[in-house]
Amino acid sequence: MCSLPFLENGMKNNRFVAIVLIPGFLFLLVFVVFPVVYGLGISLYDYNPANSQNPFTGIENYKRLLHDEVFWIAVKNTIFFCAAAVTANIVITLFLAEIISILPSKWMKTLFRTILFIPCIAPMVGTSTVWKYGIFGTDGGAMNRIAGLFGAAPKNWFLTTWQFMILIIVFTLWADIGYNVVLFTAGIEGVPKEFEEAGAIDGAGPVRRFLYIKLPLMGRTFAFVAIMTMANYFQMFAQFRVFAASGGRNNSAMVLTNYVYKMSFDSFDMGYASAVAAALFVLVFAVAMVQNKLMRMDWSYE
Amino acid sequence: MGRKKKSVYKKYHYAIIVFLVVFSVLMMYPMIWMFLTSFKSNAEIRTYRTKFLPIEWTVEGYQSAFERAPIASWFVNSMFVTICVTAAVILTSTLIGFVFAKYEFRGKKILFVLLLATMMVPPQVTMIPRYLMIQKMHLFNTRWALVVPGLVSAFSIYLARQFIADIPDSLCEAAKIDGAGPFRIYWHVILPNIRPAIGSIGIFTAMMHWNDYLNPLLMLNDMEKMTLPLGLVIFDNQRSMDLSATMAAATLIMLPMIVIFLIFQKQFIKGMTMSGIK
Repeated sequence: MCSLPFLENGMKNNRFVAIVLIPGFLFLLVFVVFPVVYGLGISLYDYNPANSQNPFTGIENYKRLLHDEVFWIAVKNTIFFCAAAVTANIVITLFLAEIISILPSKWMKTLFRTILFIPCIAPMVGTSTVWKYGIFGTDGGAMNRIAGLFGAAPKNWFLTTWQFMILIIVFTLWADIGYNVVLFTAGIEGVPKEFEEAGAIDGAGPVRRFLYIKLPLMGRTFAFVAIMTMANYFQMFAQFRVFAASGGRNNSAMVLTNYVYKMSFDSFDMGYASAVAAALFVLVFAVAMVQNKLMRMDWSYE
Repeated sequence: MGRKKKSVYKKYHYAIIVFLVVFSVLMMYPMIWMFLTSFKSNAEIRTYRTKFLPIEWTVEGYQSAFERAPIASWFVNSMFVTICVTAAVILTSTLIGFVFAKYEFRGKKILFVLLLATMMVPPQVTMIPRYLMIQKMHLFNTRWALVVPGLVSAFSIYLARQFIADIPDSLCEAAKIDGAGPFRIYWHVILPNIRPAIGSIGIFTAMMHWNDYLNPLLMLNDMEKMTLPLGLVIFDNQRSMDLSATMAAATLIMLPMIVIFLIFQKQFIKGMTMSGIK
């Protein structure tokens, strides 16, 4: 990302450039850059918008972070959620994209891709509300009905701990896999068929052909999907708010996004919440940097 | 090409089709359950828990949803925000993308890196300052609180730039020699050549704002002023015993988008794919 040779040539017209870019960047400055700085500023105060006095407390909020048990649980849960859900998402969507791409007819490919994509169209708050009753619901939910077939007593899944987190991951995958299936199918279809046929002639089975021929050839799609999915999953919020607004039993479903929200808008402890937000930012930034290194994502590919 | 490919995989076809059919049914189950439950009465939901289909189809849930919640205003608010933001984002991202793709100026690289960097900031990191700013700007609890912060999107600018870069420089040069100013080049050369990209950016932006929950949750207070996704949650929290009406409201919220998607699914999927490949 440091050298951007593709940006080097072009027409010259500084007036036009200024007319377009000055308002555009002023806007980003006001609504993205300034809030980051403002947020860091607030994190140094004991800030509650309803109070008349909001004393400067220096790094007090950050010291409090270090000793806040719930914060560390939220960090752990966020990392677990992202790692598990992103990995599962990529494995499942690669598998689905591969088997869809080898279907014999075009209408079948379109049909299955369309069906898998439908949940992506709907708002996640809406679909989580449906799952809250229809799938996880204590009476009448699909999970307890299936468990009932095996003679198990209905269970209140919202009161479980790690199981509940797993269920939220399952929901997230259901709601979100369609998008990556579409991207991966396009990636797989972009691999020239000749490579594959050559592999088949050499006696490689479908699994090996996929792992050693197709996957390496769609590296760019893979890097894009991995980075976007990870960035996206760090921001997941709606389903946590619907399923476990207060964090679930023993905060087992508390993630950083919800913790920032809860601290700022349920408790109005905005100074401290800003410190949590800063920690979330650092975490997202660190993960993005590591990913960038690992995948050598070249944004400037032409 | 297609025939050759068949021979490589033929023996797996039936297994794959059976698997995908079962998987698709499971994927569709929650939506079908929502749809069917919205046509059951609450009494029926409570008494016959194991029945999948409604015994007696009824629109009680829908009546109750319309009576108890301002769904029509939520719908109008959602439409208003989505249309305004999408139109604005298409304009701003193609203009700024055009400048980054075709013009040379000092500080271009730094600005471009800054642009990419803003994409990495999670909205929850900036939500407290944005909430305070919107209050200071006296936009709190208005639709503009959702429109104004959405007018420029770094991701869409990046996407537009990628597409515009593919337009041959010679086209722009030719227009320039013919005496066209930058706005004319933008309007007559750039825009007609990036229609698919405009579709892609439009679909992406519209879906994001139609489905957004966090920003309405932060910026809106009154029932009347809410958008559909926020309204649904409030509705559900207020009357959790009225499952029939909640599912009716959920169906009303999701159905329009799903129908639009099914009609334009080819364009949707193409747009989504392009956003990823570029």
